[in-house]
Amino acid sequence: MNRWLSDHRWAIADALKRVRERPIQFLVLIGLLSILLAIPGWLAQIWLGMSSLVPEEAVHSEAIVFLSNEIEFEERIELERMLGESPIVEHVIFIPKSKALADLSSSDGLAPLTQLADDNPLPDALQLRFVFSPDSGVSEPSLVERIEFDPRVLSLRYYPSTRIQYGSMLEVLAFLGAGFSMLTILGVLMTVFLVSAADVVDDSKRIKLYTLLGASSRYIQRPYLYRATFLGIFAGFQACLAVIGLNALLSEVIINNLEELDSRLGSIPLDTRILLGIVMVSVASSWIGAERAMNQRLKGLH
Amino acid sequence: MIDFEYVSKFYEGDREALFEVNFRLAPGEMAFLTGHSGAGKSTLLRLLLGLETASSGAVRVAGTNLADLSGEKLARYRRRVGVVFQDPNLEEDLTVFDNVALPLRISGFSESDIPRRVMAALSRVDLSEQALVSPKLLSGGQQQRVGIARAIVHRPALLIADEPTGNLDPELSARVMRMFTQFQQLGVTILVATHERAVVESLPFRRLVIERGRLISDGLGSKR
Repeated sequence: MNRWLSDHRWAIADALKRVRERPIQFLVLIGLLSILLAIPGWLAQIWLGMSSLVPEEAVHSEAIVFLSNEIEFEERIELERMLGESPIVEHVIFIPKSKALADLSSSDGLAPLTQLADDNPLPDALQLRFVFSPDSGVSEPSLVERIEFDPRVLSLRYYPSTRIQYGSMLEVLAFLGAGFSMLTILGVLMTVFLVSAADVVDDSKRIKLYTLLGASSRYIQRPYLYRATFLGIFAGFQACLAVIGLNALLSEVIINNLEELDSRLGSIPLDTRILLGIVMVSVASSWIGAERAMNQRLKGLH
Repeated sequence: MIDFEYVSKFYEGDREALFEVNFRLAPGEMAFLTGHSGAGKSTLLRLLLGLETASSGAVRVAGTNLADLSGEKLARYRRRVGVVFQDPNLEEDLTVFDNVALPLRISGFSESDIPRRVMAALSRVDLSEQALVSPKLLSGGQQQRVGIARAIVHRPALLIADEPTGNLDPELSARVMRMFTQFQQLGVTILVATHERAVVESLPFRRLVIERGRLISDGLGSKR
């Protein structure tokens, strides 16, 4: 145990000495890695933050379905029934054209319009109110598209809820986030790999000496791995700060939409899992990058 | 202690570095390994340090075939060997004390034991007073003595020196060789590779002469 402690204490001191010897390189690397990590971290943060809001929001989508003038009564009833049975439709309200005309004239103060009652140009309509039902297997956009192509329908006006608007954004974010995450891990691995490989070349004389003095590969690698770990920790924390800052900035921009979702919200909720994930990915990829480089280069040296 | 059994070493393209080298060094014996540059001295030392493996034959140290060692076992073997280089290869950002303490730290000696051993090694090479200075501030001869102190600090059973007097003037060379003689009298097996005839001829130890990869002479020298 004493041996283990002493070896690691020595390795940590050596790693810190290396950091002190090349502070600019260390800081530049932290900056570079934190930028790499912050991009997917921020996308993931928006994705998870917004996702957590979506199921709780109270605003529902609505649609007004204008019916064809040639439609028979039975056909309308059948359409109403079909829509009413959909798991994502909360209710269907029939609005006869006479009521639409009356509403229009009263709300817009266009009294003379009522004179057109005998020759009403407006179509009958159905008002749909959607309900959020993620397990139903039916999406609002697909149902809206189906209605639009129904021969009984003249036209349709769809008012998607904030949830639906964010839903499509979330899909894009999830896709981008996954892609950027893969690129980031590769980027961090490659960066640390190249830097560690260059360190081995720089320190080849020292490494040869340590080998001849009986140091095992693990003993030689340890300071470099500790330095990579420090790099990962600092880059991870800096990326977290960037994500927190960007989250605050974005929340400021969409504050009105957020209040619509939940009046108590002042910002997109920060998901601590993302921050923890950033630090873990940062440390793990730095460590793996350094370990791979050390193994490969040490074999070459020996 | 050291047993070379018909050892040959070929590099890529069948380049022959050593051919059927056969000799034995008893425990506590000291010998010079001489020959011109490129004769095969360095290859022989690399084999002895486990940095390379023989193409044929066997290199045994204390009965262990070095070809059977790898990884941690090989590292453990090297911890029992002291090495002195032509260039003392000191770490300039460490003090003399820490340079000498390196083999002890690598071998896992307790921190409480290290100062006593380091100071003992430094006093053997008359450098106790320089323990806390940087090697940069020492002369070439002093740096070489620090290298020797580092090689003996863990009391190795085998000491290998590769051109230890190559950068030293005759007076300092003689002093270094006297140190080796003292270590040999303490029971350390010593193999000194050198191409300096004056050094070899000044001491009555066994001489292994190597030429174009072949051991052409193995006999005792005589003090002039």
